[in-house]
Amino acid sequence: MGKIYEYQVLRVDLSKGEITRETIKGKKVKDYLGGRGLASKMLYDEIDPKIDPLGPENKLIFASGILTGTAASTGGRYMVVTKGPLTGTIASSNSGGFFGAEMRFSGNDIIVFEGKSDKPVYLSIKGDKVELKDASKLWGKTVFETTDILIDEIGDKNARVSCIGPAGEKEVLFASIMNDKHRAAGRTGVGAVMGSKNVKAIVIKAAKKQVEYYKDEMMKVVKKQTKMLKEDGVTGEGLPALGTKVLDNIINSNGLYPTRNFQSGTFDKTSEVSGEALVEKGYLQSNKGCYGCPIRCGRNVKLPNGLHGEGPEYESGWAFGADCGVSDLNAVTEANFLCNELGLDTISAGTSIACAMELYEKGYIKDEELENGPELNFGSSEAIVYYTKKMGYREGFGDKLAKGSYRLAEEKGNVELSMSVKKQELPAYDPRGVQGHGLNYVTSNRGGCHVRGYMISPEILGVPEKLDPQELKGKPEWTITFQDLTAVIDSVGMCLFTSFALGLDDYREIVNAGTKFDYTSEDLLQVGERIYNLERKFNLEAGILPEEDKLPERFTKEPLPDGPQKGIFSHYKKLLPKYYKARGWKEDGYISAKKLKELGLK
Amino acid sequence: MSVKVKFYSLFKLNLKSSGIEYEINSPITASDLIKKLDEDFNGYFSEKLLEAGTITPGSIILINGQNIFHIDRLNSKINDGDTVTLFPPSAGG
Repeated sequence: MGKIYEYQVLRVDLSKGEITRETIKGKKVKDYLGGRGLASKMLYDEIDPKIDPLGPENKLIFASGILTGTAASTGGRYMVVTKGPLTGTIASSNSGGFFGAEMRFSGNDIIVFEGKSDKPVYLSIKGDKVELKDASKLWGKTVFETTDILIDEIGDKNARVSCIGPAGEKEVLFASIMNDKHRAAGRTGVGAVMGSKNVKAIVIKAAKKQVEYYKDEMMKVVKKQTKMLKEDGVTGEGLPALGTKVLDNIINSNGLYPTRNFQSGTFDKTSEVSGEALVEKGYLQSNKGCYGCPIRCGRNVKLPNGLHGEGPEYESGWAFGADCGVSDLNAVTEANFLCNELGLDTISAGTSIACAMELYEKGYIKDEELENGPELNFGSSEAIVYYTKKMGYREGFGDKLAKGSYRLAEEKGNVELSMSVKKQELPAYDPRGVQGHGLNYVTSNRGGCHVRGYMISPEILGVPEKLDPQELKGKPEWTITFQDLTAVIDSVGMCLFTSFALGLDDYREIVNAGTKFDYTSEDLLQVGERIYNLERKFNLEAGILPEEDKLPERFTKEPLPDGPQKGIFSHYKKLLPKYYKARGWKEDGYISAKKLKELGLK
Repeated sequence: MSVKVKFYSLFKLNLKSSGIEYEINSPITASDLIKKLDEDFNGYFSEKLLEAGTITPGSIILINGQNIFHIDRLNSKINDGDTVTLFPPSAGG
């Protein structure tokens, strides 16, 4: 028991209150690795993609990657996979911290929740004892309160908690699942699915580390890779010192820093809210790492008003900052802390407010709808904090924001003002300024997202090599490689940030060392391709059709109005047919029978 | 008129400076600018931005927001009134 390539699955039937166990091993593991891949395969096999994501037929899967809980650098990640309520696509959300490793240590590599409990419950795992317990007293509590209470109850301060806040309970469509208080399986509304099942939390304290792998072989590789991560300028210097907010000035200087709901690509007050400002103003207390992480990009921050917590990360700071036109770092950080406390995805929360601000300023939202809340003007510090709280509790106008920008803008008759793809809000890079990244947005299997294929890396940051962001040639192929490699990393259980210093061969080397598998690099990348195609197949069967592979009209009809990219549009429509072809899909965007057969998906 | 050079990220934190301005009489290249910076900052910038005579992978040098990698690399021209922005290798997301 405990071999990393033989997954122990804990299945919790919430309707019946039954807990059963099973093992997954052999070909399925070779084909899907673990984490995102294996959990997506399970979801696809076990549910009808057409079901209501917030109904009892949906399943919620917490999955370790194949190296989660081992000595692999950053090997503490876990993935939450389900059908997402925001997009209707397959939803998978990744998180760091320490919960994933503890889950693995406990011998429960994958936890599946199915059905629906008739009253609030939480799953308690202490050593070999697994119980579903009454969570009535926890319902309504914040993420921080819930975490403290459960650690107290289980009687071990080293226990780890993953839970939802009020936002998940109230099924805010972009509610997150939070672990270790501040780490988030943030996007796609996985927290709403947990809330819909009446599951408040999982608390785990393993008795011993049930993680068996080829340690001697793997340690040699770990040693080499840790050195690579420490010596790399990005993972060894930039990220520890400035965190992900190192990007504010870079993206703004390149003219693709979305401002005021993507109406502009530069924010004149970036220096007030940047990663550098967080250090220079003295708010940053220390950096912080997740399990097994030599990078330590986490921000331990204390504000002058005494509030302290983790963050903001780049995307979170941008969503409440530039995208809402707000230059008050205190308010931005406070809104971020609130998201962690209430269990909200920071990107969708901030950008839904930004969308509401544009709707308000253009007269589509009337003052009376705000129920005495502050005016929704761009630049309002008061508004971002106030409406974040209202959203988390679904009170007043917050109830409308809780459905995300797409449904809000649609209700106001102006859906094009929602800066989203497949109803999920776009992150902090204007797709007009980076053509490959725009293609990644439209082809992401979980809607608008930067971490499905982070083309910013080659197009702007020059890692692993510098590509011209406006060049179209070669971009479909690059995007595909990034998407497939990311699916691999998300299934290995390592952090995506390792890919700034490591490449495909390095992931192959460490996976083979720990498992004695015999992947070639091509085999491993094909695992990623298989995962990507399976997710696409799920989405097509769910009714999310290729015609939704599109950006909001703003990006093809309005050029960037200012900055170094002034006058530029997104050309993703030219890239999309080439992408379909390079994927081996049909011209209409459906997966060809040949490709399905090649990947063993038919 | 002059050339404005902006430092960000670790450059800004390590040098405790947000940048410098140079008066130029005629256009200079990015290479020339790094030499000027080296004189004022003890060779710091060529050490950080250059590797074997070319731009260190991941370093970002922008002239008015355009990456010199796609202009004429270290031979890219800097004119009076231009803004040059410098970043060490950085990433996040």
